[in-house]
Amino acid sequence: MLQLVARRLLATIPTLFGVLVVAFLLLNVVPGDPVAEMVGERADSATIARLRGELHLDEPIPVQFGHYLWGVVRGDLGRSYITQRPVLGDLAERFPKTLQLAGAAMLLAVISGITLGVIAAIRPGGLIDRFSMLIAYVGVSFPVYWVGLLLILLFAVALRWLPPSGYGGIAFLVLPALTLGTRSIAFLARMTRGAMLDVLPSDFVRTARAKGLSERRVIGWHAFRNALLPIITVLGLDVGNYLTGSILTETIFSWPGVGRYVLLAIQKRDLPAIQGSILFLSVIFVLVNLLTDVLYAKADPRVAYD
Amino acid sequence: MLRHLHRTVNLFDTAKSALFLCLLAGCKQSGERAQVREPVYYERDDPRSLDPALSTDVTTGEMIALLFDGLTQFDGDGRLLPALSDRWTADRTGRRYVFHLRAGVSFHDGRSVAAADVKRSFLRVLNPQTHGGRVWPLLPIAGAGDFADGHATDVRGIEVLGDTAVAFTLTEPLAVFPKFLAMPVASVVPSSPPSDFGQRPVGTGPWRFVAWQHDDYLRFARNPNYWGGAPLSESLTVRIIPEALTRAAEFLSGRLSVVEVPFGETKKWEQEHPDWLKRRPALRPVYVPLNNRRGPLRDARVRQAINHAVNVPEILRTVWNGRGALAAGSIPPTLGGSDPSRRPYSYDTSVARRLLRAAGYPDGFAVQLWRSGSNVELGQVAQAIQAQLAAVGIRVEIVSRDASSMREAVRKGDTDMAILDWWADYPDADNFLYPLFHSASFGPGGNYSFYSDRITDSLIMVARRTVDQSARETLYRRIETRVFDAAPWIYLWFPVDLWAEHPSIEGWEVPVIFNGQHWTKVRVTARR
Repeated sequence: MLQLVARRLLATIPTLFGVLVVAFLLLNVVPGDPVAEMVGERADSATIARLRGELHLDEPIPVQFGHYLWGVVRGDLGRSYITQRPVLGDLAERFPKTLQLAGAAMLLAVISGITLGVIAAIRPGGLIDRFSMLIAYVGVSFPVYWVGLLLILLFAVALRWLPPSGYGGIAFLVLPALTLGTRSIAFLARMTRGAMLDVLPSDFVRTARAKGLSERRVIGWHAFRNALLPIITVLGLDVGNYLTGSILTETIFSWPGVGRYVLLAIQKRDLPAIQGSILFLSVIFVLVNLLTDVLYAKADPRVAYD
Repeated sequence: MLRHLHRTVNLFDTAKSALFLCLLAGCKQSGERAQVREPVYYERDDPRSLDPALSTDVTTGEMIALLFDGLTQFDGDGRLLPALSDRWTADRTGRRYVFHLRAGVSFHDGRSVAAADVKRSFLRVLNPQTHGGRVWPLLPIAGAGDFADGHATDVRGIEVLGDTAVAFTLTEPLAVFPKFLAMPVASVVPSSPPSDFGQRPVGTGPWRFVAWQHDDYLRFARNPNYWGGAPLSESLTVRIIPEALTRAAEFLSGRLSVVEVPFGETKKWEQEHPDWLKRRPALRPVYVPLNNRRGPLRDARVRQAINHAVNVPEILRTVWNGRGALAAGSIPPTLGGSDPSRRPYSYDTSVARRLLRAAGYPDGFAVQLWRSGSNVELGQVAQAIQAQLAAVGIRVEIVSRDASSMREAVRKGDTDMAILDWWADYPDADNFLYPLFHSASFGPGGNYSFYSDRITDSLIMVARRTVDQSARETLYRRIETRVFDAAPWIYLWFPVDLWAEHPSIEGWEVPVIFNGQHWTKVRVTARR
């Protein structure tokens, strides 16, 4: 297993280099000018030309890339053109908040989604099955925006139980986590139900029952463990997406996470901030994928990585 | 047709509006229950920095106005008032100004403000190493351009006269120079500010810096020694809330003191809560620059025809909820130099067709109208213009881009037409003529229509040099009549800003200029 991890980590280096090259090239191709965003609505051409020179934006692209790459190698993601703060510091400040939101959303999704899916699969077509699948349909179909605003309407404005937005203690986390987790709850419920329905008619489940094991043990251990692989896949993808920023949820709930940082960086064409964020988030995504692979092997010993 | 257009806004916005109607209805009682305990304001985005030298946008400028002072300042009505300088004089040529410092003013850390601080602050803004981006308010000072370009080690036009006065010699007379010094970038900062000054600022303003959680909130405490009188509230919080409907929910929950009324909710709020609302005509024209250097738009008759073909009053009423005053020029009606007797272009398609025929386009032509994808309201206006120009044979293709891409294209002159608004930097007619119509302001300077007229150029420069206010305003009226007749824009309207104020708040007014609200007279009282 350690070998697997080491090998995969080494393989990330060319992946990340590729990400850097593609991101750098793309950012130099798309329209929009970072200096125009710095100077605001009214500027003189001399100031713009001077700033381009000072930021090395008038140098050939390979030279600019060389400068940037040298910085990255030294662990320096550069400074934002707009705020002049170090990009790494900005990301380090925001990532724990995104992690907190993603963690809460996933916890919610795992507990509710898997429970709903398992219960639904035990009695397919029954009342609980229909109810949980209705919830799943609704969860998948409702846009995040709608869910977020509805939750704000109900719990913050009408009932006054929770704050509408902002960052703080648990009270501030509930609504954004619920909003972000809704889709995962729905997906996980459907995925778990499907996987369980595939597994439950299997011979080994019948054998487990024939051995006289309790139904709880048959479902919870023998059947569920074998239904885990697709569930881990969904979880891995969702965790990766959540950790790399949930722009809509963070915007609706004024949550000061990575998603909003990236959005603003893109809007302002803040090249160091965009490139730094892409690199940082790519590392996160790669690590989550690696963790998912490790979990595959743990969940099912038949999975082997050569 | 317009009503139909208004209904066909995308489903997403309709859904948002529908939800918000419920929200407003559902919290009629609960909204009135709540009370903020300290003034809480908001910004849409995090400020760029709290360093005045980096102040190039409205958000940053508003925060700088809380923490810092310049030699002069604007009040909420846009009047120019003394600030760190309690009086100033200009010589007869209008080229030399002497600003006398107010006695006994200290920075928040206790250091006294001296004339040398003014010079150092300005050098810092002009220094190429600052990478601020907004040096133009200081460029009229003799030698400032050379210093900014790295060709000089000092600015010869700034002269420190002892501890209490500073003199400026300008390259040429400039009547609005004292207004330039009220802009955030011209704020006075202490000498040798630390490298993290933008994160931990020290100024002389009515509010002291307490905390800044990026993308979350800024907190300020009252400066008890403020020269203009300490603020009435102990503290001020500014939250960062990017989404308009979330801001409204925060306001209705009693967690924001004031909020700009969401655009689509205008009528509802006007009906439900007229007592909450405050209006203020904005110093901001909404307009469509017609690129005077491209295709048929080079011909003034074509541009006039376009103005006659667009039913601006109807678009204002239906799409813009009536939140504005029709524009018969670029100078806002509340500013000196505007001409209240000038009438907007009449909506008359027969006149438009006649002008098009005379210009050699009896069958119209094809043209592009650019809009920013993130501005839904202006996008709807663009659709209305498209539909109305089709009636006279002008086939408009709407090009939707993100704001940055659109700005770049407009500045390069790559667009035929674009729908924009122009926010005042300083409340003076000059701010609506020099950047928007002088040929020296092509592109990045603000002249997005690339309107070029030597007589207009020279009249604008004469006005800038004219110290007598009345004579200057007469010149502005003359200039604007000339420009208006050439129709470099589609003249649309000046919006009226509509805000809601929590019943417990006293002393707040919608400022006419972004850095005119200093929150010193605002306090939370027992509910009215």
